[in-house]
Amino acid sequence: MAEISIAATIRNEFGKGAARRARRDGLVPAVIYGHGSTPRHVTLPAHQLMLALKAHNVLLDLQLEGGAQLVLPKSVVRHAIKNSIEHVDFIEVRRGEKVIIDIAVHTAGDADRDGILEHVNNTISVRAEATAIPTELILDIQGLKIGHSKYASDVVLPAGVELVSAPDTIIVHLADKPTHDEPSAPAPTDVAPAAPAAE
Amino acid sequence: MLIPRKVRHRKQHHPSRSGAAKGGTAVTFGDFGIQALENSYVTNRQIEAARIAMTRHIKRGGKVWINIFPDRPITKKPAETRMGSGKGSPEWWVANVKVGRVMFELSGVTEEVAREAMTRAIHKLPMKCRVVRREEA
Repeated sequence: MAEISIAATIRNEFGKGAARRARRDGLVPAVIYGHGSTPRHVTLPAHQLMLALKAHNVLLDLQLEGGAQLVLPKSVVRHAIKNSIEHVDFIEVRRGEKVIIDIAVHTAGDADRDGILEHVNNTISVRAEATAIPTELILDIQGLKIGHSKYASDVVLPAGVELVSAPDTIIVHLADKPTHDEPSAPAPTDVAPAAPAAE
Repeated sequence: MLIPRKVRHRKQHHPSRSGAAKGGTAVTFGDFGIQALENSYVTNRQIEAARIAMTRHIKRGGKVWINIFPDRPITKKPAETRMGSGKGSPEWWVANVKVGRVMFELSGVTEEVAREAMTRAIHKLPMKCRVVRREEA
């Protein structure tokens, strides 16, 4: 995956008031840490960051006053309704370093059409070089039968990528379709609470 | 209908209707979800009506998750009763849903079918909602 370069500014004021002021000015507060170094608090332009984080596990080259720093987004806090980025935790990485990271698993092929494909785990943890993190992993589900599952060990990993998740982690499971309109829970006879407590 | 198996206090204070959801704001289990855009109480009857509307539309394909549970009792005094004489009797069970909460999830159907099923379910709910997709990774 290509590196994306973004200019970052060191910030000296903290707290929700300062963070809200930064967001009003079109900036996103963020923190950089890792390798035992002192955390550095920065702000980044919101629009550029939003475009960069459209791809997951993107490698960012932050242009700071003291020099450039390669980072990976570790935690992205988004607004629940507006989906705008509120805060980002970045973890420092070095060129050539191997990192453990969660990668999305996509399915390919057609499973049995009479079943419902359940995605039990959408991601798996892998160890990969920071500059060569795959964007997605492919799991072939061609010919998957009802009641059977595909596991993390079935995912085809690119060269230089090792599996960290347990090999028997279920990725997808093909369940049988329900035969009738099942009730969500056993219907009680009365609406009143089942066990009145002593008051 | 969903109802608690047992409760510690039969009559409770009214749940707070302010604030936003702290968690459960993303689609986790299925491919599509119904997200609340307002704070509201959702009764167990409304949850059941929404679930039936969805499952009837998707017929035998797909799976539905309900992420909210009506665990708060709401009381009501009988009509034409003088004030006083204690708190009324429990009438409804509600889930206290905050803005941003993903209440229902659906998977195993095409996007077109899912959106239609969820639109039908939204009509059974007491607040403004929208259909959201699962975020990758």
